[in-house]
Amino acid sequence: MTDIVDEPNVANEQPDGEEETGKSRFEVKKWSAVAFWSWDIAIENCAICRNHIMDTCIDCQAAEGSARPADCTVSWGVCNHTFHSHCITRWLKSRAVCPLDNMPWETQKYGR
Amino acid sequence: MAKRLLREHQAIIASPSPALELLEPSESDIYDWSAILLGPENTPYEGGKWRVRIKVPTSYPIDPPTMQFETRICHPNIHFETGEVCIDVLKTQWTPAWTLASALLAIQAMLSDPEPDSPLNIDAANLVRSGEITGYEQLVNYYKKVYTQP
Repeated sequence: MTDIVDEPNVANEQPDGEEETGKSRFEVKKWSAVAFWSWDIAIENCAICRNHIMDTCIDCQAAEGSARPADCTVSWGVCNHTFHSHCITRWLKSRAVCPLDNMPWETQKYGR
Repeated sequence: MAKRLLREHQAIIASPSPALELLEPSESDIYDWSAILLGPENTPYEGGKWRVRIKVPTSYPIDPPTMQFETRICHPNIHFETGEVCIDVLKTQWTPAWTLASALLAIQAMLSDPEPDSPLNIDAANLVRSGEITGYEQLVNYYKKVYTQP
């Protein structure tokens, strides 16, 4: 990414022949690259507590003041549904299925 | 999780369900809700309104709420005397992804589509099971007129 917006590199790509013909008609003054991104998850809210998946779960939110507890992570299922680890762990004790698709739950990864 | 119930309450105010005339907690207890369920169109329940009492356990949404018809209703899967509802999403198929509003929508769908093989109202179930649809619809309509105000 940094290579692309590096202005000296852009300048170096101008054709060598321009010195012979004088000033080139066009000169790249500035080039702004725009990138689009999204979370690599199917939904944005935890379907169990309804908090945003990137916020803490509703229990941690109630318990703490400002700092996010280190263990309030996100769990991905093999179905690619995501929940707060705290929320899905409490649910799995009742029934070991994904709350959204009712298929047997299998954790794919934990993280933030 | 009272906070999730508060969040559901906000969501209901922001976008009310077309299946419901009302869904709100009592003033003094966030775990005690009331709903007014509308009869689905193109069924003998159309035009009727039934009050449903919802008791939410403190373990919600890990455990399902219980829903009971306070207005009498004639349906194979609803107990005529107690108003108890037999629907899988409030029992074995419950998951915390359901909400009070979506569970009530499931009950509204059940009014259109009774399941006579797990009856709580044997008489209504027998009419459906034996194909006496006209008789069933007349019975539903009769109790709707007796117990619900238009």
